[in-house]
Amino acid sequence: MSFSSVNISVEAPIENQIQEISYDGIEIYQPPLTLSESLAKYAQKIDFSKTTDVDLKKEEAVEEAKSDSDSKDAFQSSLWPWDSVRNKLRNAHQEICVLADVLTVAKDKRYMVLDPVQREPLETKPMVQIYARKKALAGAANVLLAGAEKLKTSQNEVARNRTTPDFHIELLRLRQNWRLKKVSNMIIGDLSYRTAGSKFMQTGTFEVTKAEEDEKIGSPPSSPLPGGGQPTKPSSALKVTIPSELQGVAYIEVLCQKDTEDLCSANINLLGSGAPSSNPDMHWQQKLEAAQNVLFCKELFNQLAKEAVQLQAPIPHMVVGNQIVATILPGIQIIIALRHSTSGDKKPEKPTPSKGEHDHVLEHSLHQLLREVHHKNTHHPFPHPATGPLGPSKKRMMAGPMAADRYELLDMTKQETLLEQIIKQSQHCLMRMRTGYVLDTLAKECRDPLISSHWNTLNSPTQSCVKINISTHGYDAVCRTPLVIHVGEKSLKCICRDGKVMNLSYEPQEFRDLIFNHITQHQILAVQALAKTMGWQSLANSNHLGSGPVDPLGNATSCLLASPTGDRIIAVRCEAQYGGMQVSVAHSPRSDFFPSRLVTERKWEHLGGQFRDVRLDRMEGRNFLHKMELLMASLTSNS
Amino acid sequence: MTSRALPQSKEALLKSYRTRLKDDVKSMLENFEEIIKVAKGEHDTQLSRLTQCEQDTYEMHVRSANIVRAGESLMKLVSDIKQYLILNDFPSVNEAITQNSKLFRTKQAECDQKLMSLRDDMAADLYDLEEEYYQSINK
Repeated sequence: MSFSSVNISVEAPIENQIQEISYDGIEIYQPPLTLSESLAKYAQKIDFSKTTDVDLKKEEAVEEAKSDSDSKDAFQSSLWPWDSVRNKLRNAHQEICVLADVLTVAKDKRYMVLDPVQREPLETKPMVQIYARKKALAGAANVLLAGAEKLKTSQNEVARNRTTPDFHIELLRLRQNWRLKKVSNMIIGDLSYRTAGSKFMQTGTFEVTKAEEDEKIGSPPSSPLPGGGQPTKPSSALKVTIPSELQGVAYIEVLCQKDTEDLCSANINLLGSGAPSSNPDMHWQQKLEAAQNVLFCKELFNQLAKEAVQLQAPIPHMVVGNQIVATILPGIQIIIALRHSTSGDKKPEKPTPSKGEHDHVLEHSLHQLLREVHHKNTHHPFPHPATGPLGPSKKRMMAGPMAADRYELLDMTKQETLLEQIIKQSQHCLMRMRTGYVLDTLAKECRDPLISSHWNTLNSPTQSCVKINISTHGYDAVCRTPLVIHVGEKSLKCICRDGKVMNLSYEPQEFRDLIFNHITQHQILAVQALAKTMGWQSLANSNHLGSGPVDPLGNATSCLLASPTGDRIIAVRCEAQYGGMQVSVAHSPRSDFFPSRLVTERKWEHLGGQFRDVRLDRMEGRNFLHKMELLMASLTSNS
Repeated sequence: MTSRALPQSKEALLKSYRTRLKDDVKSMLENFEEIIKVAKGEHDTQLSRLTQCEQDTYEMHVRSANIVRAGESLMKLVSDIKQYLILNDFPSVNEAITQNSKLFRTKQAECDQKLMSLRDDMAADLYDLEEEYYQSINK
């Protein structure tokens, strides 16, 4: 503070200032100032700031004294944390106001006219003024030109970078594909399936921003290696920010597991096989689609988990972490898991390839089921009254006029959950696999009657149909045994040749037994049909022969055939277990007859003689029927 | 008619765009006029000439900067209006959606048709193959 230092007064010189020295050496002095002039001059020199400062100091002192006296008020005011700031701001404001006033007063002649102090006349020439004005105008023009140049370059930049679409064009494209709205200064988009009928709680909002220029320029150097090859492909002018919980890659894994080994597995990933890396410079469309996929998977899993907890199953479903375990058939479980990797760079370890078979049916149906739910949520059956509630099915609306009873109404309220449906589908999938396996192994094991199966093309996720034909090679026209199997969710329905319907459980052994049974029946029927064409006579046949050794798989089948002349009889016995073919031949009467004590006359020989086994494996012939044909032929000709 | 159907906030927003446009244009014009006026230098003042010159220079600078600002504000307004149009142009969005859905529907029908024909072919072939397989010795 220079104010505290000692004031030094300098007196004006006694001599007046020299105004001019004429050529003859006479000095012309300035006339001395008059009293009023000198007063004005001195007044001009007064430093007002000094006094105001002093005043301020005084005021402060007064205020302090005041605050001391009125302690309550001061206490309250000092409580307020911004008090000092406010005071300072107020002071500044006051000063600015005063300054503005002074300026106004000084500038306008309305309030006060400033008497120009007689000073050294510094008369500026008009030319100088013009130059000054010119300079000022040039400065202004420069500012304007610089502004115009800036606008021009920014326009040129856009025109030059035609490869990068304009922000607004990108925005338009985005708008055409996604829902956007403006909230204050931000553009907010929505990628949830809510408009498609989803009722999932999680929001799928994302934010659209303009990609920063410097970022665009700055990104290539930051990643020079991958960017080196593609500098021509600039990033989009749009930047999409997705909430962190929707970033990354998600898919739902479905595994059917038998104790510990996998029977089949499916991966649901709406984006297909491509593992979309979530690198930051991905195009917004892919980024948004990936996020939407994550949202969809989350919703699906959420729904499944909720149902798994709510459903009352005999063996309760387990929900542990991101995994649902449900038992579909005894010993076989289905595991539905949500896999979500948030960071794309570290690939999730995928041990799945070793598990082989991917069942894309399950993958697809899970997808489809939720879509169906969505669709149902938005598409209400027409017509419905404008004032009526949305939601009840058409059937339910008809319930009133049709006078439905309580049971019917109760029936309508039952709805199959997604989990139940997927369990049914997986059960069916399993049943189909088992049936196919049994049929194939049987066809491989059993060479003689040919077992051919044809799977029906038309089937539903929970029902399919297979047609089985049992026939003998070369004798297709003589006899064939058709069989139709409906594969359901947990059971098989077999429609036999004679129209009999049999319901089988999921145990593959039952089905195997049934096929064996049909093989034996086929053999016997084929022999009989063959006999008919050969002119032989069928004496008897039984599908359930009670005699002989007990068969482990039901009863043996048999038939008796007589030659055209009636003197030879062939007995065929077929056991359910493959290979159990027994053929015996009896001659009556025998060609030679020796009367004995018991059989005294030759006529008794017509009753039939002893059966002798035929060793089929030694016989010629491609298969059983061929052998039988040869046998019958030889027996006929012998007579 | 259409503006009547707009909600209050949208109406206000459009109005604000209009006022912004007018303000900016007006500000450009006014500032330019002022610069010209200052350049004429016909105002009588009680300030000293030098100070006056300095003030004029300063004023011109500020006013020209104001003009530039108004220009940039107009650019911003253009971009804002573009954005507003893009975000709120529901007829064109609807058109895009209809077009998209039509496209996808035809694609779907195409795929369905192809899948169906493929399925039929495969079913026929499968039948023959099954027949052949089960008749053959090498099972």
